[in-house]
Amino acid sequence: MPDIRNTSTHGRFATRAFVAASAALLAVGIVRAQTSGPATPSPSAPPPATSANATAVPGAQLKLNFAPNDPPGEWHSQARDYANTRYSPLDQVTSKNVSELKVAWTFSDGTLHGHEAAPLVLDNTMYLVTPYPNIAYALDLTKAGVPIKWTFEPKPTPLSTGKACCDVVNRGGVYVNGKIIYNLLDDHTVAVDAKTGKEIWRTKMGNPENGETMTMAPFAVGNKVYVGNSGGEMGVWGYLAALDADTGKELWRAYSTGTDEQVKIGSDFKPFYSWMKGKDLGKTSWPPGMWKHGGGAVWTWVSYDPDLKLIYYGTSNPGPRVPAQRPGYNLWTSTVFARDADTGMARWAYQFTPHDEWDYDGVNEDVLMDVTIDGKVRKVLVHFDRNAYAYTIDRATGEVLVAAPFAYLNWSKGIDLKTGMPIVNPAMEPKPNIKLQNVCPPDIGGKDWQPSAVSPQTGLVYAGIFNICMDVTDHPQSYIAGTPYDGMEMQRSPAPGGNWGEFMAWNPATGKKVWSIKEHFMTMSGSLATAGDLVFYGTADGWFRAVNAHTGAVLWSYKLGSGVIGQPMTYLGPDKKQYIAVYSGIGGAAMVSSKMKGFPARGSTLYVFSINGESPHSGTTQLTTEGGAAAAEPDATASGRH
Amino acid sequence: MEHRLVYGGIAAAAIALAGCHPSEGGSTAVKPPGLPSEGTISQVPLSDFAGIAMSTLGSDIANPYEGQPQAAEDGKRLFVQLNCAGCHLYSGKGSMGPDLTDDFWRYGGTPANIYKSIYEGRSRGMPAWGRALPPEDIWKLVTYIETFGGTVPPNRYQAGLQGDRPNEQVAPEVARALAEETPAVTGPIVPGVPRSAAPMQASDTNAAEQKARNETTNGATPATPPVGADYPSSQPASPGAPSKP
Repeated sequence: MPDIRNTSTHGRFATRAFVAASAALLAVGIVRAQTSGPATPSPSAPPPATSANATAVPGAQLKLNFAPNDPPGEWHSQARDYANTRYSPLDQVTSKNVSELKVAWTFSDGTLHGHEAAPLVLDNTMYLVTPYPNIAYALDLTKAGVPIKWTFEPKPTPLSTGKACCDVVNRGGVYVNGKIIYNLLDDHTVAVDAKTGKEIWRTKMGNPENGETMTMAPFAVGNKVYVGNSGGEMGVWGYLAALDADTGKELWRAYSTGTDEQVKIGSDFKPFYSWMKGKDLGKTSWPPGMWKHGGGAVWTWVSYDPDLKLIYYGTSNPGPRVPAQRPGYNLWTSTVFARDADTGMARWAYQFTPHDEWDYDGVNEDVLMDVTIDGKVRKVLVHFDRNAYAYTIDRATGEVLVAAPFAYLNWSKGIDLKTGMPIVNPAMEPKPNIKLQNVCPPDIGGKDWQPSAVSPQTGLVYAGIFNICMDVTDHPQSYIAGTPYDGMEMQRSPAPGGNWGEFMAWNPATGKKVWSIKEHFMTMSGSLATAGDLVFYGTADGWFRAVNAHTGAVLWSYKLGSGVIGQPMTYLGPDKKQYIAVYSGIGGAAMVSSKMKGFPARGSTLYVFSINGESPHSGTTQLTTEGGAAAAEPDATASGRH
Repeated sequence: MEHRLVYGGIAAAAIALAGCHPSEGGSTAVKPPGLPSEGTISQVPLSDFAGIAMSTLGSDIANPYEGQPQAAEDGKRLFVQLNCAGCHLYSGKGSMGPDLTDDFWRYGGTPANIYKSIYEGRSRGMPAWGRALPPEDIWKLVTYIETFGGTVPPNRYQAGLQGDRPNEQVAPEVARALAEETPAVTGPIVPGVPRSAAPMQASDTNAAEQKARNETTNGATPATPPVGADYPSSQPASPGAPSKP
């Protein structure tokens, strides 16, 4: 039901939310919802400081397209829709009853690595994809105990585990035409029959011996599946490829560096800013030959505009991470591409961080929406970059409309909207073999890959962000295949305030933070917004929270067995009741904070919540499980593989 | 088997720690050491010897650069230049690759074990450097890793295998049993003698019998053969002797 809630209705629940907010502040005591201005140095004035009451939430006037309009109770892709809204129309759980959420059922997949994926739900079946060794499960939501329907074990090579930079994670699968399609760490894309769990095809996309891995969730439009590689720290040659969903055959591949032909740049490529115009810039903006190992990996999210028929995605940092070795803009790294979804030809690009000196990948999600700015409706993408600027960009032309800091930064003094260029702070440019202190944000950015959500009810975008700085020493590198092409020695610590994390609501029209919740631990989970006026997120130490989408008041917190870096989602069970699911399994880049007091142990458990924990899966009689398959014994716990 | 010979073409290598002419490795003048041969190092097993309670093989090979600060300094330079630090971090505390500063060693923490891990690579993404680096450079890397403080000295090779720590106490029964067992393999194994031809240990033999058996097990050729020990390769398994569980 995509079109009934697509205009902003901010302020609607003001009174009720105020009561709830006050109660939550008294009850929780752990966190405070509060308004904070943009980080310093800031080119714009901070928003007025108000406490967590519900008066006048300044959301944007925005409109969302929820194509492909999947059934409201289902979840077919990681972002739920092409626009990457991560917004669910389900509204049974609201700010009134959210405090009654209790565990309905759980599932442990046995893999103790970082769990970054959201489950998929369709046809009363839940589909899970685990971190390495990338097992897929189908769970039967119609039966007591939610038994396993089938288990698929692709058995990727252990070699790949040592080539992945930031834990052996996987960001999940996508459902396309009866198949669950996902990427394996060892550079294969597989399609599994959603009914039987049998492999339909497997396509080799790269070579792990070169340091290449795959961790992204495939993104599908029609019969095309888009996949890319990971390994920006390993000197890989980044690409995005389109595969035929039926056969797995590669249709095209667009590299992130190299000649125009390799990058799939042709005559209809029209970047908005002149400094990105020219022939073969993906080659000539590098010292000779260095583009070949220049990174630009494509490891997170793709979005799609069905009207413009364009896909959008970002590329990773350049390699090596020592900028002194690669003078030039290093195009097209740390860049967002708009490409023809069919042919892959680039239509425009925008490099967020030219000559990236700090590992500020441009990979974070691009959320598509139509926003009223200065009285005009603009088709935009909203992107919270690792460089700590939030961009609102005209998605038809690549023009930057709004660029404002959303997290603490000192590498730059602003973005020049005339040129689209950041104004770099020369004091924060690393030089080889010299320790540079207190550079903000650090390599993992003001926000990493963890995706935001947007609500048409509030006109706000919600994101888990960071408050971290680094001391950095650059060590010049040689390219040695299969080893890191990296060179950044770092110590990370919290930025002013002392908190590592924060969850915020952002107005994409004005570029202002509306409210935020400081978190002591990293907030590296995805966000989920629902029609119940709620937003969900988790923390690295394992709190899963529900927040009033208007006010930022925390309404519910539940401590899970391990930290949350997964993406919460919601679905309707066979009983037509609303469930909310999230993985608990710390890992990934959140391990940079693993020495903090209270940091949790690894985990592998999916938690599913419902009002009062009610479900057909539990009861007062001797319920039993009728499984269709046994679980896998992954990795180190498998017989003889310890 | 993880400890199969990976050094193709290396034949009999019976002499430990002797006779190898060192080549100059690296740019810095470090006293050229006598380097253990590839063949000798190759025979240090990744695990315990089947059928042999104890072995001194891992203890026999010391780091030829042991305690030389210049070698450690060269190793540190190599650690950064060869991108080791990208995985194990500049602090050695591990990230993509394991922590090299603590005292947990999946593949053994003696200098010879660490040399082998660098030379051979390991199955979870550690590349094999044995054909990219001269032995001198690998030993210098070992020397640098030893400065992190978590490695196992050669004379604690067995203790490392058994998970012992320097300041632990030992139950008296275990101490007694350990004292009665004599290391059976005191030198390199002669290649080509099939280990499968060796007798299996009976689990119920007394210590003296076990000692005698240990000394003659599994095709091992002691550097100095014990008095009275039979050459083992043709000795059939004792009839009725139960297999080692």
